[in-house]
Amino acid sequence: MERKIDVRNLRVSFRTNNGTVKAVRGINLQLNKGETLAVVGESGSGKSVTARAMLGILAPNSIVESGEILYDGKDLLKMSEEEFHDYRGNRISMIFQDPMSSLNPIMKIGKQLTEAMILNGKANQRTAKKEFNTRFKLLKDAMLKAAEENKSLSAETIQSKMEEFKKISDKGIELTRAYYKALNSAKECANELAMYITDIKKDEPKNIKDELKETGAKAKQVFHAYVISKENTTYEKKLQNYLTKITSYNNIEQADALISSMKELREELEPFASTVEPDFLAMAYYQSKKPAARVTGVDINKLNKEMRDFFEKDFLKDFTSLVAEGIRYSDRRASEAKKETTKKLKDSIQVYEKKTLDQKECEETAAELTKLVENSVDRLALKKDNLAYVFDSSLHSAIKTYFEGIPKNQKEEQRFAADTEKYNKAVAKGKDIGKPIPALIVDLELAHENMILTVKRLYEAYDKEISGSAKKDYKVLAQEMIEHLYIQAHKIVHKITKGMAKYHAIELMQEVGIPEARKRYKQYPFEFSGGMRQRIVIAIALAANPDILICDEPTTALDVTIQSQILELINRLKVERQLSIIFITHDLGVVANMADRIAVMYAGKIVEYGTVDEIFYEPAHPYTWALLSSMPDLDTKEKLEAIPGTPPNMIHPPKGDAFAARNKYAMQIDFEEEPPLFKITPTHFAATWLLHPNAPKVKPPKIVTDRIERMKKLEVADSE
Amino acid sequence: MSDNVLLKVEHLKQYFKMGKGELKAVDDVSFDIKKGEVFGLVGESGCGKTTTGRSIIKLYDITGGNVYFKGKRIAAGTRDFEDKIKDLKADTKLNGKDHSAEIEDLKKQIASAKYDHKHADKKEVTQIQMIFQDPIASLNPRMTVREIIAEGLIIQGMKDKKLIDEKVYRVLEMVGLVREHAGRYPHEFSGGQRQRIGIARSIIMKPELIIADEPISALDVSIQAQVINLLNELRENMDLTIMFIAHDLSVVKYFSDRIGVMYFGKMVELADSEELFDHPLHPYTKSLLSAIPLPDPHYEKRRKRIVYKPEEVHDYSKEKPTLQQVKPGHFVYCNSAELENYKKEVRE
Repeated sequence: MERKIDVRNLRVSFRTNNGTVKAVRGINLQLNKGETLAVVGESGSGKSVTARAMLGILAPNSIVESGEILYDGKDLLKMSEEEFHDYRGNRISMIFQDPMSSLNPIMKIGKQLTEAMILNGKANQRTAKKEFNTRFKLLKDAMLKAAEENKSLSAETIQSKMEEFKKISDKGIELTRAYYKALNSAKECANELAMYITDIKKDEPKNIKDELKETGAKAKQVFHAYVISKENTTYEKKLQNYLTKITSYNNIEQADALISSMKELREELEPFASTVEPDFLAMAYYQSKKPAARVTGVDINKLNKEMRDFFEKDFLKDFTSLVAEGIRYSDRRASEAKKETTKKLKDSIQVYEKKTLDQKECEETAAELTKLVENSVDRLALKKDNLAYVFDSSLHSAIKTYFEGIPKNQKEEQRFAADTEKYNKAVAKGKDIGKPIPALIVDLELAHENMILTVKRLYEAYDKEISGSAKKDYKVLAQEMIEHLYIQAHKIVHKITKGMAKYHAIELMQEVGIPEARKRYKQYPFEFSGGMRQRIVIAIALAANPDILICDEPTTALDVTIQSQILELINRLKVERQLSIIFITHDLGVVANMADRIAVMYAGKIVEYGTVDEIFYEPAHPYTWALLSSMPDLDTKEKLEAIPGTPPNMIHPPKGDAFAARNKYAMQIDFEEEPPLFKITPTHFAATWLLHPNAPKVKPPKIVTDRIERMKKLEVADSE
Repeated sequence: MSDNVLLKVEHLKQYFKMGKGELKAVDDVSFDIKKGEVFGLVGESGCGKTTTGRSIIKLYDITGGNVYFKGKRIAAGTRDFEDKIKDLKADTKLNGKDHSAEIEDLKKQIASAKYDHKHADKKEVTQIQMIFQDPIASLNPRMTVREIIAEGLIIQGMKDKKLIDEKVYRVLEMVGLVREHAGRYPHEFSGGQRQRIGIARSIIMKPELIIADEPISALDVSIQAQVINLLNELRENMDLTIMFIAHDLSVVKYFSDRIGVMYFGKMVELADSEELFDHPLHPYTKSLLSAIPLPDPHYEKRRKRIVYKPEEVHDYSKEKPTLQQVKPGHFVYCNSAELENYKKEVRE
């Protein structure tokens, strides 16, 4: 089974005025391809925080203390914001709880659906342009420097080669742009025609005529553009036929004739949508070298191969080795700098490890170190060194926090002491402190540790890198670099037009079961009922075709009938689009329908973890029992077993098992030591001391065992 | 039997003005609540459950129908009489018949309805209390718990501070809070505790009827059970009658003696809870029951939701439906043709 997401030892806390809230305390989760993993728990158990960490949308006062979330070989927690743009929405998407507040009330549904598609396209263009230019400049500099060192290379050849490459890519961009403009118009026309064919009989002729005319105008553009050569007369004829049919279209009887002409035109346009894209970079080079060569009218795959081969042999081979030299130089220089920096880091860590710290010394060393670290970063490398990039800010903030926490004079010291005493007293009594505690009470030890850790983590990472740098294959890296530049150039051109976005949006709306999507497209959220609104939210989440969908209580705000509709929809989409779903809820009834596996969370920890059958038919943790017994089903008569009390305050998580205080099966050890995850079956784990071989044997509450009995009986009766 | 009825709702209509037309939030709903029972009201959001509750407690002036509490009329609407007068007047114009005596009679009835509605005994009405859905929005954040709970008493004219305090402490203890909580503000409490404050506020008036408007749907699962258990306890100790409005059918089934199902402002089915869940008759009830999720994966994987499409199931072109008794205590909204079918279904 393919693993999609792997969460390892994730710890997240939030800094608040009242102290640090430890929201997630070391959880491990795996999400496999095509399955639904349900995360169940009360509010405040950390289930939403876990989901938000996966999307990189944690609140700004959050601290990720440890752990990793692996997706596609990358750690989502250490990803930079720019990188995350690629993942959020495109790969991992989220449905929020309240469909009312997650839609913009003063924006039409259609705009909200297409907004992200269009903006994403624009932003991609902009960043790609910037990325291309900076990367190109860095590469050129590195190559020139390499030439200085290495006598076998001449600066002139490098200059000319780089210029040639730039020229080729510019030309490639031009070709791509022209190609896409024509292709998009063709696609749009085909789509619109397909759409209107189904609508034409429902609508009044005068309503639809204008829109049809617009399509005709677009079809004309296609004709004038690049894709269709001017000799194509059948297309022209069909277009003319279509236009005359529109002008004469006045009553519904003429619809059939119009539809047939629309179909003809569409057939002409449709093949463009499915053609293979030409290799533009190679084509640009090919054209510049052999301007007389004909590139139209040949089988595109064959053409691509021919052009690529020519490009490879004539230009790319030499160019790659030059680029490899540049990368080697840049990498070697960075490695040397890193070695030096590591030494310095190791030397100066004793400045921070002292018992009593000197502010001036700390800051000066920090400034010195940052300079070195900055110098040691290999800016040309495609894989960014996150630790080095954030070293400056994290070290400085750690120093600042530490020294601001130390009182400066006697008066302040007295005030701090008084405040701390007051605070501690209140905490000892278990009181919820009503007003915010003084901001300056910081955990000095923790701040100190943070300082040391920042330095330590960096040199450990550097050590690893230096030992690994000998194995690098610069040729492969150079190929990757050229590929990267090519992709950026391609992105500059790739554009989603409004028409395309609209077509996609309507298609999506139909997919999530919204009737009359074309009419609904122009409406506002308030014109939708709760269930329809949630469908729109789901459509927006699916807009970029993600492969992981996180549903954060998607049905809590809906009533029973709508809830089951939405659940059915999510289940259907899961199969159709092969989604992997993380489903967060507090309602075990909902989970039974949806989940393949369930993780029960309490106070930031996973207390039980197993397949859906195991959780419902053989629950092992007292908290799961409590959850199951606190909800009545249709046959419940006896008094409900409510869980006494409330979830613990996560500023001071209780020692031992967090659930012990509310657990009637709690033993002495539950208050003293945290239970490990006991393995019951290969797929079923529970963190409770009751599973320890020395523990007394207890049975789940009667209400739960009764229900399980009943369910089993039902099943036997059914199978007979 | 009839003296057992605590609240009687007759042809309750509540229309809201909306632009040009009217929104019929509650349209001709009748039911009684017997003393000591829990009456559940279910239906999807927007079907008029909450409006019914609010109309009974006179948060809205009702458009038509009557509400009797302990045999006395506490709320009345005049729309039915007005419509009748209009019809009669039109009849006079068209056919020349003289209806002046009837019109005079109707006018008297309007006057009496208006009088009863306006002069309903305040003391009687305070015996109906309401618990609201959202425990955060329904408590004033600037008042202490003591002030919130005692407000009703003070409005009733109670002046003795000691007595008030004593009463507040007593209800706090009844709902599982402690005396010290009286001096705090709502934001210092958790959701479950806040809902307890809301309950305390309603029971301090010693009510006979409590209208609980989705009291648990904003709470966590574990806290929901606490609140249900608390309501059950209070019901036994204080001899309460409860009208329980909710959309969670499992909870309603567990908690209520009789259940009314509402759909688009109409009461479509009304029966004892066992009866309703064992033998649902109206297609909407069936569809609603088929949508309940249960904590049983095998059952869930097989569960087929029945879709309710009123325009396909019912044919009301010949005869308009009304709420009719199919068997003792079991009412369904149907016309006579459907009634025959339902009766046949029951016999089988």
